[in-house]
Amino acid sequence: MTRWLALPGVPPLLALLALLGLWHLAATFFGYNFFPTPGAVFKTLPALFGEAEAAANIAASVKRMLAGFALALAVAVPLGLMMGRSPLVAKLVKPLVATIYPVPKAALMPIIMLWLGIGDAAKIFVIFIGASLPLLQHSFGGALAVDQKLIWSAQAMGLGPVKRLFAVVLPSALPEVMIGCRVGIIMALIVMVSSEMIARQSGVGNLLFNSADMALYDTVYAMIVVIAAIGFVADVAFEFVRRRLTFWAEIHQDPLVPSA
Amino acid sequence: MIGRALKSLILHSASLILLLGAWEAVCRAGMVSPHLLPAPSAIFLRLLVQLADPAFLIHLGQTVLRIAVGLALATAIGVGVGLAASRNRLIGRLLEPLVRVLAPIPKIALYPALILMLGFDHASKIALIVADAVFPILLATYHGARMVEPKLIWSARAAGASERQCTFTIVLPAALPSIYTGLRIALLIACVVVFLAEMISSSDGLGHLLIRAARSFRTLDMFVPLLAVSLLGLALNGLATLAGRRLLRGFAL
Repeated sequence: MTRWLALPGVPPLLALLALLGLWHLAATFFGYNFFPTPGAVFKTLPALFGEAEAAANIAASVKRMLAGFALALAVAVPLGLMMGRSPLVAKLVKPLVATIYPVPKAALMPIIMLWLGIGDAAKIFVIFIGASLPLLQHSFGGALAVDQKLIWSAQAMGLGPVKRLFAVVLPSALPEVMIGCRVGIIMALIVMVSSEMIARQSGVGNLLFNSADMALYDTVYAMIVVIAAIGFVADVAFEFVRRRLTFWAEIHQDPLVPSA
Repeated sequence: MIGRALKSLILHSASLILLLGAWEAVCRAGMVSPHLLPAPSAIFLRLLVQLADPAFLIHLGQTVLRIAVGLALATAIGVGVGLAASRNRLIGRLLEPLVRVLAPIPKIALYPALILMLGFDHASKIALIVADAVFPILLATYHGARMVEPKLIWSARAAGASERQCTFTIVLPAALPSIYTGLRIALLIACVVVFLAEMISSSDGLGHLLIRAARSFRTLDMFVPLLAVSLLGLALNGLATLAGRRLLRGFAL
């Protein structure tokens, strides 16, 4: 009877329902107008997506997030793999990464906007930095653990260093790289939201605070739901892709903990 | 010995030193306006000057206070819930899907709601720190506690220890190295999150100083709080490393 409880996806769904139930109870108990029930919030969702401006804002945010992440993927993964295979590269890059690590990435927004202007470029750049760190770290770890014999055989067969990186190192480091991707996409989302909350011109973060300023409390919570949904969908999607691409690797991963 | 340590430090941060040198040189040569990018030496000097200014120290103190309270709460909750989940199957099974749903949500998105409920003062910022910092601690505690050698627990139980005694005298100490790792991740997260929160709802703290400087285009003063919070994170991290070496002697860290 309890077998369906163990189906994949069922426990998180139940957890979600339980959370919504708790939220409903708390909201009706307190009855504050700035703490609406989930029902009231979900009612505003269709209107939010129907509104051209809001929908465009959400789409623009997601576009920036994906652009920053794609850029990080293109730069950080090859660099991380190179760090794992070349002690010199590792020695050069490590101190720089250690320096950037404790800096609040989204807080760079006001400074980068001085350089790149208030358009998309500054936001994409900040997202790129935020998503790069976990990608770099996991690609590095993955490449470091590649079996040396594989490299030697590839060398003996006459593969050049660049080909070796993509034909041997990348596939064997892929499980670890994919974990980096999963953390990286959530990092991209976090930096996207926080940078928009700081530099308030457009996007979901701006929409969130504008509606708070205008006392549109239902919209505030609706935006939070939208952002949470983006995070949840991105996480599930990457977990799905990871399982598909690296079904041969047995890695157990906890629910991730991205650092802001 | 100090000479050797210095030498290895220089060797290990060669690229950083090169980068800072190039940055300094570009600024000194007047190739960029100081309104866009001030020289690193100017930023450091400005930080030193600011550290002597009581007004700056008050802002710094507010930030540190929030980090300390937030981390303390997150540790208490994270370790408590993590231990309970690892010792009790039912709690563990209830908690796992909840964490799966909640962990990937960007907690910063909750901040407007937290402001609405808790106001602009300390409480909303501390709540945000707790929401962000609790997950690494909780997960580290849970995994650390699950990894405890079961024979230890069996022998303690055989020797007549109660379930409760087992949790606090066997499982908790054995999970300490893992908790410590989680705590260090949470530490840096707390520093970052409090800074962002202070930037968003600007009232006081280091993040507020950055926004204030940005509004009046004082570029040099924009870099100072950023440097200050990064150094704060590094200093707390260093402190944690020292404390860990002291307290967890005998554990393979």
